[in-house]
Amino acid sequence: MSVAGFIRDILPLLWSGIISGCLYGVGALGLVMVFKSSRVVNFSHGNLACLGAFVVYGFSSGSLLSLSWGSAVALALGIAAAIAAMSYALIAPIVFKSDLASTIATLGIGLILQGAVQLIFGADIVNLDLPVPRFSFSIGAIRISAYDLAVLAVTLAIVGGLFAIIERTKLGVAFRAVSTNPFACEVCGLNLRSVHLFSWFAGAVLGLVAALLIVPTTFLSSTTVPSFMLQAFTAAVVGGFSSLPGAALGGILVGIAMNLFSFYVAPEFMNTFLLGVILLTLNFFPNGLLERAIGGRV
Amino acid sequence: MSELAHGSKAAVSARGGNVDAAWLSMLALVAVLSLMPLFAGGFLLYSLSLCFANALGVLSVSMLVRYGGEVSIGHSFFVALGAYAVAIVEHRLGLSIAVSLPLAILLGAGVGFIFAFPSRRLSGIYLAVATMALALALPEILIGFEKFTGGFEGLYIAQDLVPGVSKALQRYYVALVVLVVVCLALMHFRRSAQGLALLMAQAQPRAAEAMGITRSWARVSIFTVSAALASLAGALTGFASSTVSPNSFTFFSGVFLLVGSVVSLNRLSLPAALVGGAFITLVPTYLAKAGDWVPIFYGVALVVVTLVANAGDLRRFLPRRRR
Repeated sequence: MSVAGFIRDILPLLWSGIISGCLYGVGALGLVMVFKSSRVVNFSHGNLACLGAFVVYGFSSGSLLSLSWGSAVALALGIAAAIAAMSYALIAPIVFKSDLASTIATLGIGLILQGAVQLIFGADIVNLDLPVPRFSFSIGAIRISAYDLAVLAVTLAIVGGLFAIIERTKLGVAFRAVSTNPFACEVCGLNLRSVHLFSWFAGAVLGLVAALLIVPTTFLSSTTVPSFMLQAFTAAVVGGFSSLPGAALGGILVGIAMNLFSFYVAPEFMNTFLLGVILLTLNFFPNGLLERAIGGRV
Repeated sequence: MSELAHGSKAAVSARGGNVDAAWLSMLALVAVLSLMPLFAGGFLLYSLSLCFANALGVLSVSMLVRYGGEVSIGHSFFVALGAYAVAIVEHRLGLSIAVSLPLAILLGAGVGFIFAFPSRRLSGIYLAVATMALALALPEILIGFEKFTGGFEGLYIAQDLVPGVSKALQRYYVALVVLVVVCLALMHFRRSAQGLALLMAQAQPRAAEAMGITRSWARVSIFTVSAALASLAGALTGFASSTVSPNSFTFFSGVFLLVGSVVSLNRLSLPAALVGGAFITLVPTYLAKAGDWVPIFYGVALVVVTLVANAGDLRRFLPRRRR
């Protein structure tokens, strides 16, 4: 393999790895938000995102209604937020008592949502595209399409917005306080439940956005989105599962690593590769790859 | 979970003198199950054999919850390991489960150890995430190593353990005997020094460390034993159903094992294991028409049982006071 050929291969791989990695990062951010505030690993994250994406499809394609894409997304966001609130209400009685029991309960919620998707939308495979114009241009070996730019713009906007909320608002201060020391917050009279609820809402929105942006690259069925969440989980583990910047960067690292693996090794063993990444990370960087780079900041 | 640790004294004192009701009911249950083939038809027997195998899988998950305080949704991986071990040993070496059953246990233990080792120092939540990856990686591994596993088609298991006995009876009794033996072994383990040490490592990590058992060692060893049990369950599943294929080891099979464990309240007794095994074996069989309702049904069961088992007094959540 010549050096020129290698560079011609590697640059597009890196670029598309960054693009898909952004989405894994957004998915991972939702998981980490919920985990930091309520110490629950939300296994229903992927199923909720899948249901939301199907709602967008159902209301914009004419299978349920023919709304515009924008209003379908608004509706899906509302539904996803409502389901997130209901999920949290369900586990509210045990969320302070047992992390493990709450985590098991989220699995149950995930199963219910999975069944709901199959009941309402069947096991069909459908296409759901973004309403972006179809154009693309090249910089050197890299082809950049409108979709890539849309992903970057949305990711930056949503991550920027999230960090602005966490850094600048009262709610964000409360969220950081609760994720650092819930007991002290309770002593100071902070309502933990409202902070939990905020993080569950944020998780639902982030999951849905990631799902909507990832679906155009593949297709939408009752199983694709939940398995896409494995990438989000891996990104969260790589980032240390309790650091928001870590999750975002972990997503990009996972995206690049997956692209290189599927191009140079074996695309059919993608989940096995992610399993390996998770196990190696847990063994050598139990607090995430970026522990030293970022430190213990929230 | 810790009532297990506190209940030991009562259990020990109850063993003195009188044969207690639990023993009698277990003996009665085993007797009824042993005589079942005299009355039951072929399909019910087949379902029951699978039910025993699944009950063992449920036990392996329950053991992890009870002793390690950890949750696994990827135990289908170890179940598949055992099932495929039986199939591959028969195909490549032409040997029956007399050889492959012990081999499956060893394989499960080995792979379980390797898998649990990286997350030994971390909270159970990391292990849960890793098991999710395990469950999702399983189908592509089974399909990817087509040369050994038969790919989508899977493999047939035809060899008998005891020549000359009818297949249905063999499947039934092998599964039943192994299940009962494992239940007895677990009862013994609960009272053994090793079992108590592992319980102590979970309930009082500091105290256990003073006695020389670290929490991380306890974690890894429990997962190893649990994976070995799951692999044994898989060997029985393969033997009972005479075939292994990737269809029976999807992501959901691992989740369903956990559902069975939760529904049986993570108990390690024979009746509890049978309840859990029956729940995940018979529901899909008898609700086959309502295919899409099965995950919903399981999900509701999971949420409701978890809530009821953990919430304690729900009146605390009426407005006015929290916690």
